[in-house]
Amino acid sequence: MGFVWFWTFWHWSKESFRAGALLRSPLQGVGSHWDEWFRNEASPNDLALIEEAGRSESTQREFLAWLFRHWASEVPLPQGRMVPCFVAAQLAQIPPFDRWAAFEKYRTSYGAAGISAIVLTEESLGEPRDLRTVEAIALPADSTGSGLVAEGFQAEATELASAKSAAKSLLSGRGLLVFIVLWVISGRRPYARWLSHVLTSGWIATAGLILFLLVGPEPGNQLFLYSALLVALWGSLIAIAVGTVATQAWRAWRAGNALRNDLETSHVRLRMNGGLRLKGASAGLPFCLNMLLGLYYARPDAASRSWIWHRFFSAMKGETKSWAGTGVVTTSGFLLPVVLEPKLRACLRHEEIRHVLTPHQREANNRTLDELSKSSSRSAKPAPVELFPSTMQVGLAAERPQLRIHGCRHVAQAVMAMGRFGDRRRILANAFGVGVTAVMLLAAPDLRSVLLPHCAPVAVQPASPSPYYIWASLDTAHPRYFSAVLESPYWSNRRADVRPQGGLTPSVRAEIQLHRVVANTAADHEEGVVWIERRRRFLTREFLPGERVGRYSIRYLTRLGHE
Amino acid sequence: MSDEVSIEQLLRWRVARAGAEAPPAPRAARLLELARPWWETWPERFHLLVERLGSIQIAYGHAMAEPVDARRSGYPVPTLIVRGAEELETSVSVLYLGVRDGRLRLRFQLESVLAHTPKTFEVTFVAQGFTRPLLSTPAVLSVDREYRIDCELPEELGRNWKELKVTDRMPFRLILRSDKDGS
Repeated sequence: MGFVWFWTFWHWSKESFRAGALLRSPLQGVGSHWDEWFRNEASPNDLALIEEAGRSESTQREFLAWLFRHWASEVPLPQGRMVPCFVAAQLAQIPPFDRWAAFEKYRTSYGAAGISAIVLTEESLGEPRDLRTVEAIALPADSTGSGLVAEGFQAEATELASAKSAAKSLLSGRGLLVFIVLWVISGRRPYARWLSHVLTSGWIATAGLILFLLVGPEPGNQLFLYSALLVALWGSLIAIAVGTVATQAWRAWRAGNALRNDLETSHVRLRMNGGLRLKGASAGLPFCLNMLLGLYYARPDAASRSWIWHRFFSAMKGETKSWAGTGVVTTSGFLLPVVLEPKLRACLRHEEIRHVLTPHQREANNRTLDELSKSSSRSAKPAPVELFPSTMQVGLAAERPQLRIHGCRHVAQAVMAMGRFGDRRRILANAFGVGVTAVMLLAAPDLRSVLLPHCAPVAVQPASPSPYYIWASLDTAHPRYFSAVLESPYWSNRRADVRPQGGLTPSVRAEIQLHRVVANTAADHEEGVVWIERRRRFLTREFLPGERVGRYSIRYLTRLGHE
Repeated sequence: MSDEVSIEQLLRWRVARAGAEAPPAPRAARLLELARPWWETWPERFHLLVERLGSIQIAYGHAMAEPVDARRSGYPVPTLIVRGAEELETSVSVLYLGVRDGRLRLRFQLESVLAHTPKTFEVTFVAQGFTRPLLSTPAVLSVDREYRIDCELPEELGRNWKELKVTDRMPFRLILRSDKDGS
């Protein structure tokens, strides 16, 4: 209990709030409350102990450590991971902590830096100082309600509200849907490298099997095996692909929903030092993304169950210094164009910025960057000094500017870019998979007839009214998978496809034209049988006939319905 | 001057010279005038300001997008900021209110953001519906548009305000005059 004075202050604050003497809750108004307590309420003993705690930097750090480790753990606040940082930053502004060296780093930061916003000062043409670090922290809301507070700058409440709505949409609304669609089309998957290779091989094998069935040698009795293998392989690949997408989308939605609840019930503070009064809403995009990061800082475990969110937040957290963003964000998450040229110039001149998120607009391309880079270097460099002899020629091998523009139509694209989800090989793999799947769907009835043959049809009326034809009318809904074969010593052997026929007596039948065998005069014209055979096919290819599933005499077929 | 002059003589000589060069002491009438509060010095202006203060209408329209406990958000106090010839109608939120041992301790935050936040304001408390001020006291900037007041309170006000809470509607309006006020 070395810092009992802080508990004394904290309880005074709580009791005063309960009694109606303080408007803000103990947490939200901690700086102001401390100032009041320290000036008017602290006892001489408390003041002596505080002075003792601030005697040296090591004792000051001891207090900070206690604040983070012990006080924060004993104050029951859900989602309160950033609470000690907030308290330290608030206290750092007021006596006696404003003179404590240990609080130095909290005077300008919460230690939760996000990506930079590009906010131009008046008449600036784009300077490094125009890139301003934005911090967002989410604190547990209290009885005074949740809210969104700008700190260190002034902005229209509606502009901040738009950014917040876009963040909500991205967490579990239409924005998330847009993101999921983008991710399904072109996003990296959570596969291990070996699994990725196996799946790629699987798709190639599927395409190979399709080609084999289309143009390969006659499979004979192996057709069933090949068809089964093809269906099993394709089915497994589809199951893995759809399962992965569905699982990750579900987890992203659940984690996003939890984070959205946090956002709705949190008190979010957006901090951008400099005391600027913002004109225009082009900082909406970084505000929106940093709000998401603030939620993650407050409760990292909420995102840990979703690979998508975990990947995005890890990437964002690790690279905030090299990213900047600009863009007016609508409540549904779409980005509107902004003035870009001076902002890109500011990014080019900044030492650390490597990526800039912009709305998708005409100037957002590498050509503009190259031009700006050239003009910047021309204006920045003094007149060249003649260092080389006149005979020496300079080889121009200048690198492209290291800055990369990510033009986005929707804030979901910004998430794709920051989380490094984009993968060109995935687009190719998806296109390949879609092509294979389309072929498989077209071939599905053929494969089905091989793997699960249709019921054997029965000969039915009508019989042929002509003596020159035999009709084998069948009661089947799948005529393209059957054919009829005439075998007779009197008539020429013939094969005919079963197909729907119109005319006066429409039916599904095979019509076999009769041709007498000239050499054979001994046989009876009603001698012979008609076999019903299965046809085996795969798209445009027809294999050798399959099993015979019906046998009818000519006599039976010609008299069917005429008795 | 001779080298033999004593230190005492030297000091007397210096005091006599300083007295001769010093401006004359203000007259009693001038002292009384300086001690008079500003509303007595410029009563017409005060009445104009009070009139304007009285015309400020502030009421919350509850069209909130997010849940807020209205009972805890407090009531804004209509306020007039006077800086020279400039006058700005605004409001303040009372963040802390304590009346104890005949002293008033009050903290308030300006709703408006000023281009230059003064370090001190002279705060004049004006009762609702009255043209006489209740109290005038300096307020010192604390943190982020937040000012604090620590002053003695007339006995009657102390009795009336003792039970007041920050979430109650305040029985006063404020005129804030900054140092740059030319009046």
